[in-house]
Amino acid sequence: MAENESARGALSGEPLVRVEGLRKSFGSLEVLKGINFEVNRGEVVTIIGASGSGKSTLLRCINLLETPDSGHVWFHGEDLANSRANVNKLRESIGMVFQTFNLFNNKNVLDNCTLAPVMLHKCDKAEAERRARENLAAVGLADFVDAPSTSLSGGQKQRVAIARALCMQPDLMLFDEPTSALDPEIVGEVLNVMRDLASGGMTMVVVTHEMDFAKNVSDKVVFMDKGVIAEEGDPKQLFTNPRQPRTRAFLSRYLEDVGVE
Amino acid sequence: MSTEPEMEGARPKDPPSSSETKGRGGLVGFVASDHRYVFLGTSALALVGLALANQPHSASSFLARSYAVEVVLYYVLVAWIVVSLVALVNKLAKWRGDEYAKTSPFKRPQAVRAERICSYVVWAIVAAFVVDRVVVGAADLVSSSIAQSKNPTDFFSSAVYMIYSMRDEFATGIVNTVILAVVGTVIAFFLAILLVFLRLQTIERTDDDFVRFLKTVGSGFARVYSAVVRGTPMMVQGLIIYYGGTSLLTARGMSATQILGVWPPFTAAMVTIALNSTAYMMEVLRSGIGAVDPGQAEAARSLGLSQWQAMRSVVFPQGILNAVPALSNELVINIKDSSVLMVIGVVELMFASRTITGVYYKQLPVYVVTAVCYLVLTMLATKLLNVLAVRLGAKPSDGVTSSN
Repeated sequence: MAENESARGALSGEPLVRVEGLRKSFGSLEVLKGINFEVNRGEVVTIIGASGSGKSTLLRCINLLETPDSGHVWFHGEDLANSRANVNKLRESIGMVFQTFNLFNNKNVLDNCTLAPVMLHKCDKAEAERRARENLAAVGLADFVDAPSTSLSGGQKQRVAIARALCMQPDLMLFDEPTSALDPEIVGEVLNVMRDLASGGMTMVVVTHEMDFAKNVSDKVVFMDKGVIAEEGDPKQLFTNPRQPRTRAFLSRYLEDVGVE
Repeated sequence: MSTEPEMEGARPKDPPSSSETKGRGGLVGFVASDHRYVFLGTSALALVGLALANQPHSASSFLARSYAVEVVLYYVLVAWIVVSLVALVNKLAKWRGDEYAKTSPFKRPQAVRAERICSYVVWAIVAAFVVDRVVVGAADLVSSSIAQSKNPTDFFSSAVYMIYSMRDEFATGIVNTVILAVVGTVIAFFLAILLVFLRLQTIERTDDDFVRFLKTVGSGFARVYSAVVRGTPMMVQGLIIYYGGTSLLTARGMSATQILGVWPPFTAAMVTIALNSTAYMMEVLRSGIGAVDPGQAEAARSLGLSQWQAMRSVVFPQGILNAVPALSNELVINIKDSSVLMVIGVVELMFASRTITGVYYKQLPVYVVTAVCYLVLTMLATKLLNVLAVRLGAKPSDGVTSSN
């Protein structure tokens, strides 16, 4: 089904997300200084850059957790930044995974996954539970269905968070540094789930410091610096031969680490 | 092996009895095991027993009827203290190192066992003295005070006499205090949830003008309500609510008796407590909800839930749970603070006490009993609410109750 949709999108030629002239300030600090970028259906876009470069803010503007000061965010042909847009409805098809997991502490794992689909009448309770069990099994947590969400480890929580977002059957998944709060040895279990998701054709925008993931899994890498997109392009090219000096400076440590160049 | 004798002195149980008591926890385990300080602890108890034995007998004392038995019991206690003193001298003489634990006859396993069994005897004797002098004594005091034809001069007798002779008023007072506090707090809890919901409304970009207006008015109302109610004394609020209602009904042509039927002081007091407590509970809920990680609401909103849906299903349940200790504190406060509503003539505990002092022109004994009653009620409420809090999975309150 996801593949069908992405095929239709590809035919129509319209990108799934188009950001135009996006600006956002917190007080006197201008975090986004006119961002333009596109995400096509089925594409995996990673956003990299130093802390404070505006990566997370850009991601949070896509589903309007942050309200942009000006500019447009086109999704499904509707401008989310327009005050008349039904943001709640559009968010139903944009899944988001947070750095700090944000599982509902008052619910168990299954209820975390079924809450939104049932409450928003996407399906009845039985169907929601069936779908939740399916998604939980896909992230390797079939045995934790009835566990309280507070009892899980960080890696397990993040996988539940991914399953929870998938239960809404979104067209787009946003990942806000999904592995930054995890111990190094369990980062892999979350990245594997994301890799599976990407190969299943899901459209994803990932803010990350995991350069290997950016390099090997994504179709496009966006490098942000001081509130602007400094460089974007094919990961192979950007990681081996960045055009901009500041991209080169940012990546230098990583390039040295893996012995490229 | 060299540490073995040293351990003997420090360990509370010796091996055979520890295997006996294995699996028994708590009080039973404590009583059935040998203790290092058996002489010291039991001697202190024996001294209490001797002190009680020197008190005069009350009218229905059972030991007074068999004086010989009492004398025997008395000297058994004295004998225990003498043996303890010998053990003490023995210990002081063998003070250095672990000499006492190793060589003293009092530390042989059989002796330790015998000491434990003797200590049971001492406990039993002291218990007999407690029952005879304290329990039977108090019962005699109560029955003799009740039988008096006029107010006795003695403090306790007088307290018992006054409270007993006005027992109906006093009982009504206690019952009404409990009803006012419990029902008032429960009503206030639900009103506070409504009010805090209004208070926390934030205007969103997508709201139309009508919704914006409603949210602004709701939030403003909650703010003003909280400021006014928390900024004025409950006694004044009670007077305004009671006489406000009365004058309103008078203006509609009702007689004083009719007004007493539809707007009695009890109803006014209930309304006052509920409305007053609502403001405080709203603030308590607000801080509990404020303590919920904003990521919880963000995650809910990111799934497409509206502000109301996210609050109802994710934020409020967690926030209310955070607030449970402070919310139960409100009940305790209401038990105490309902006392100020005696000014509108509702027969609660404080009003009943005032009535009794008015009849007998004797204040202190009645007020001391009243204070004890309030203390028992508040401690009982705290205990019950802590059990409830643990059931709900919240942290129990620390037992410190502040007043509004």
